[in-house]
Amino acid sequence: MTSAHLLLIAPFESLGFMRTALVACLALAVLNGAVGTLLLVRRMTLDGNVLAHAVMPGAAIGFLYAGPSAMWLSLGGMASGLAVAAMAGLIAGARAWRDAALLAFYLVALSLGVMLVVWRGSNVDVVRVLFGTVLAIDRPMLLQIAVVTSVVLIVIAALYRPLAAGAVDADLLRALGVRTPYGTIFVILVVLALVASFQAFGTLLAIGPMLLPAAAARAWKLGVAASMALAAVFGLAASVGGLLLSYHANLPSGPAIVLAGGVLFGLSLLASGTLWRPAALAQEGA
Amino acid sequence: MRSCTVEGVHADGSIVLRDVTVRYGNRIALDAVSGEFRAGSLTAVVGANGAGKSTLLAAIAGTARLARGSIDCPGALAYLPQRTPIDVNYPMTVSELVMLGAWRAFGAFRAPDRATWARLAAAADVVGLTGRLDRRIDALSVGELQRALFARLILQDAATLLLDEPFAAVDEETAEVLLQQVMRWHQDGRTVIAVLHDLDMVRRSFPATVVLARQCIAWGPTEIALRREAA
Repeated sequence: MTSAHLLLIAPFESLGFMRTALVACLALAVLNGAVGTLLLVRRMTLDGNVLAHAVMPGAAIGFLYAGPSAMWLSLGGMASGLAVAAMAGLIAGARAWRDAALLAFYLVALSLGVMLVVWRGSNVDVVRVLFGTVLAIDRPMLLQIAVVTSVVLIVIAALYRPLAAGAVDADLLRALGVRTPYGTIFVILVVLALVASFQAFGTLLAIGPMLLPAAAARAWKLGVAASMALAAVFGLAASVGGLLLSYHANLPSGPAIVLAGGVLFGLSLLASGTLWRPAALAQEGA
Repeated sequence: MRSCTVEGVHADGSIVLRDVTVRYGNRIALDAVSGEFRAGSLTAVVGANGAGKSTLLAAIAGTARLARGSIDCPGALAYLPQRTPIDVNYPMTVSELVMLGAWRAFGAFRAPDRATWARLAAAADVVGLTGRLDRRIDALSVGELQRALFARLILQDAATLLLDEPFAAVDEETAEVLLQQVMRWHQDGRTVIAVLHDLDMVRRSFPATVVLARQCIAWGPTEIALRREAA
């Protein structure tokens, strides 16, 4: 066996859980590429982060109720994610308070989730909920990730134009009499994607694989659809790189994948020249 | 709330304001403004900063909540706010941005047909953007972006146009091109209401004028309205 084979292929060849993790990460990379790109162009990264943490109290209640069952963790996470999204919708009018209120939701959700898990579980459970367990993904979870990925991608493909156009100028669509609540539909898609990522990456990191590859792709200034595809490729690269890093260096795999995504983001900013080009903000100042 | 009752709509399609009052918190931005924009009229809205000019347009467009009063606004309207909410960093081309104006012709799922593309090309020609349609919007100058937004308004094909300081940030040549388009809308019989600062332009080109200072100071033929403001 060559050393390259040992370095790159052997870990997946010999270990079933590495293969399962790889497949899960690949599905999530495609899902997150699409959802993350829309989050970025809709300027909702803070919302995404808050929703990632909003998943936690519900998942914790699911955990208390049924133990570490993929279905109950997901249903609980969905419920609390959507509840926080609805609350965020209620405060959408109070622009001055929006950021602070979103952060408050995030902190409260996180604290509540940790307390609920510790109440019945252990510190190990807390670490698991916060950072996820990519290497412990089982078949039911994998199936769930595959289903969520398929459903979300089909919806985004079907509603691509209004989801993307609403990001450019929501006021225009309203003035044209478009009544379908595409913003709400999109938030539901984000919560679904976060719930799928949640068990792999945990409540603290789930937003990472969603945003970092998408942000790295955005640096190359492609169109939205092309940016989604590139984000998926970056997500794949970060997943493979992160999994190998965690295997060879004996490091936690979720953080390693997020770290690899961060490296890709940094390299993209440097290589695309985004850092040196002034952003197109001329219109704002004028 | 803005009222757009069918019963209240004048047969001739004019926009009628009754006792329109808008508050931002405790501050009164617009105080008991009543009047009528006749169908097909071309009206300038003038006044000092903070006089409620933008608020008046936002109220007619339905984006500002009325504390009191009502507005009857028949037909579709197109609104160009002073600070466009468009994210210029959004990765899209000029033609994609302009095409959004014709949304109703294709909606969420269909592709624009040949006639709609032809309308887009004609609108781009009118505002002088032919040849720049494939450019990304983040590569546009302020004037070019305003031209693109005017092209989008053309595609919207609305009976009423609300323009908030449409020439404020653009160069002279662009202002001239865009003013000609305003005149064309007027000739088409559309109702045009524009917030403006340049009183010479108002005297030259706008038959009617509303002078605001939170309340309505004057509303009528431009010469008379501006004379009263000066007095």
